[in-house]
Amino acid sequence: MNRDGRWQKGKDVRAIRSHPEISREKRNKHVMQKQQPTPEDVIAKAAELRGTLSSGFRDEIVKSLYSEAERIARRAVKHIGERRYDLDQKIDRLVTSPIFGLPIMLLLLAAIIWVTVIGANVPSDLIARALFWVEEQAAGLFDAWGLPWWVTGFVWHGVWRGLAWVVSVMLPPMAIFFPMFTILEDLGYLPRVAFNLDFLFKKAGAHGKQALTMAMGFGCNAAGVVATRVIDSPRERLIAILTNNFVPCNGRFPTLIMLGTVFVAAAFPPAFASFVAAGSVVAVVVIGVGFTFLMSWLLSRTILKGEASAFTLELPPYRRPNILRILYTSLIDRTLFVLWRAIQTAAPAGAVIWILANIHLGDASLAQHIADFLDPFGYLLGLDGVILLAYIIAIPANEIVVPTMLMVYMGTGMMTDLPALSELKTLLVDIHGWTMLTAVNLMLFALLHNPCATAILTIYKETNSKKWAALSVVITLGTAFLVTFLTATVARLLGWA
Amino acid sequence: MNPFWPVISLVFLALLVFLPRYGLRVRLARWREQQRREQVEDALKYLLDREQEGSHPTPEALSGALGLSRAATFRLLTRMEGQGLIETRGHAIHLTAEGERWALHIVRAHRLWERYLADEARMPLGKVHSEAHRREHHLTPDELDELEAALGHPSHDPHGDPIPARDGTLPHAEGTPLTTWPTDRPARIVHLEDEPPLAYQQILAVGLRLGQTVRLLEKTPQRYTLSDGEREYLLAPAVAANVHVAPVADEEHPPTDAIPLSELPHGREAEVVTVDRAVQGFTRRRFLDLGLTPGARVTPELANFFGDPRAYRVRGTLIALRNEQAARIWVRPATTDDHR
Repeated sequence: MNRDGRWQKGKDVRAIRSHPEISREKRNKHVMQKQQPTPEDVIAKAAELRGTLSSGFRDEIVKSLYSEAERIARRAVKHIGERRYDLDQKIDRLVTSPIFGLPIMLLLLAAIIWVTVIGANVPSDLIARALFWVEEQAAGLFDAWGLPWWVTGFVWHGVWRGLAWVVSVMLPPMAIFFPMFTILEDLGYLPRVAFNLDFLFKKAGAHGKQALTMAMGFGCNAAGVVATRVIDSPRERLIAILTNNFVPCNGRFPTLIMLGTVFVAAAFPPAFASFVAAGSVVAVVVIGVGFTFLMSWLLSRTILKGEASAFTLELPPYRRPNILRILYTSLIDRTLFVLWRAIQTAAPAGAVIWILANIHLGDASLAQHIADFLDPFGYLLGLDGVILLAYIIAIPANEIVVPTMLMVYMGTGMMTDLPALSELKTLLVDIHGWTMLTAVNLMLFALLHNPCATAILTIYKETNSKKWAALSVVITLGTAFLVTFLTATVARLLGWA
Repeated sequence: MNPFWPVISLVFLALLVFLPRYGLRVRLARWREQQRREQVEDALKYLLDREQEGSHPTPEALSGALGLSRAATFRLLTRMEGQGLIETRGHAIHLTAEGERWALHIVRAHRLWERYLADEARMPLGKVHSEAHRREHHLTPDELDELEAALGHPSHDPHGDPIPARDGTLPHAEGTPLTTWPTDRPARIVHLEDEPPLAYQQILAVGLRLGQTVRLLEKTPQRYTLSDGEREYLLAPAVAANVHVAPVADEEHPPTDAIPLSELPHGREAEVVTVDRAVQGFTRRRFLDLGLTPGARVTPELANFFGDPRAYRVRGTLIALRNEQAARIWVRPATTDDHR
């Protein structure tokens, strides 16, 4: 290269010297330098020389880069003793073994979800109490100042309450889930999961690393969508993005757990109740994973046609996790990032919810009217109008689905917390006619429905395309409608509901 | 019922049909314009193909190739003549210089698209042709330049057809049909004709690949028997005519003691010889980036419980590859098992 460059320059210089106008100024070095080849000349020369390259020159470039790197490393790096891979190999053989591989994986997943759900209860409660206490005090203050009721209502019972709800329900599980997830990541275990599950993804035309983005999706689908950056092929990355929502996130677990506890576990002796509830949640998760594979398979045979492509996955050596870095990446990068986006969308949602519940037309609130209007459609899906309404207003954040639903059912003017379980059951089953079908379909709908606004926004930002963001909604919502419609119809035809 | 409803619906309908730029009427006109252009371009491509074989087709041959009625072919030819793309001399159709330039542009678009779809989008080879055919009508020469640069200025499409340069120079296609090749002389597959698709599907199904070195073992009127030293391939003579081969250059002799990485026994060290020539674009870059360069030492260390993917120790790191990828990397097992 260097030689070529010099030769080219010399030739140019000769050309310049022979040029009559330039020869007058040939002693002026400054001008001489200006006559160096222009970028266009260089490009033209490169295009001309390109034809002479052998087909394998790229291989040669990379090979020479590697040998140069090796040469530098030999000089600069001293090996003291030899790094032993024995322990790594033993662990690898265990976690990828036919007998223990999958069970270890499922156990770890179940344990993380369980710890998240249990561990988040108390802090969630504390945060909720604190924030609602602020709401009460502030509302009292506003009343004392003589501000009209709707100002107090809108600001504190609407916007603030929406925020408070999302923060208290979302923050603790994420603050628990993400560090645990990051520990597994830092240990080097997660790539082994991708390694174990790749055969399934291969059949679906997807990439094994999609397993990692799905695991991330349990924490938050928006974070899962961001995590798809680890997949370097665009086609498989899009598949991972579009199907990430079939993994239920933290925000949807409360709904699933409530339904599992009230409807499924209630049929069992109290001693087993919590296990049965957990089991039903796990069943839903497994269904979601099934839909992920099914949808990946469909996508890679329709709009994202292509072969299961270059699967290259680095399995790094196991390392001791670095606690500080884990706390930093999981809390700052992930938790606060997601929380901030959720807050941006939850505040307006809180306002809308309050308005719908407090503007009355005739003898019922706007919310009630809309719910009545949606009721026939809800019936078709085995749900009801209130549930659909809750899902429509709760697009910004799945956490507020249940509070919104209860608000409309109980006719209160603000989002309402869960009453005691027995009351809840009376409210839903006896007053509002819920059946097992409603519960099952609500679980399915919660699993399959469209991504929350945060996730949609993230999909838009990651793909930089409104089309893919819209498609992610169409696919999930379409699946949710279709599946709930089918279960409802089949259950009704068979006389189960 | 509200008396305004019919009015509103009528207005809406009118808008739907007559709206400038978005209305159905304009869309239909645009769509028909596009159809016409694609027809012209398909005709140009066919004519160029024939001319390269030294013949000038008749209108009947063209109508047969494009699947058009005689009347439609006549209209098409009149239009093309009006645009100065063709001349009819006697009963034969000739491309004008302008027509040839345009035809080469389409051929270039088609082959660059095929390269892109096969290497970067990694579509199955059997589907690449139809997708490229759909897309070849939509790029300008400048956009093609960009595509070409992004692909690293490829010289051939994935079936081995040369890609014309922007100025219209088309390298001569090398190779002769397998049907004229003598038995027992080693040959390198340089071109797999992708039309008709049925024959191409058969070639792919048999498992022949571009760049493979084969030997014709036996030639009978019923079948051709090929061997690459490991496997035998059976082809019908009609299909064999679509496989073009060229003499094997010395440096392209397959490394005789090399095996695919996927077949390297567990725990056995080997040295990378080369990455298969058929692997281009994204996948090849990935392999090289991971350090799977010629001369690198590699040992299979871990297998999934289905044996696929396997993880290999390369340059101190553990890298998992699916078997179909590992099959594209040729390695030479270490002669002595000295590392154990």
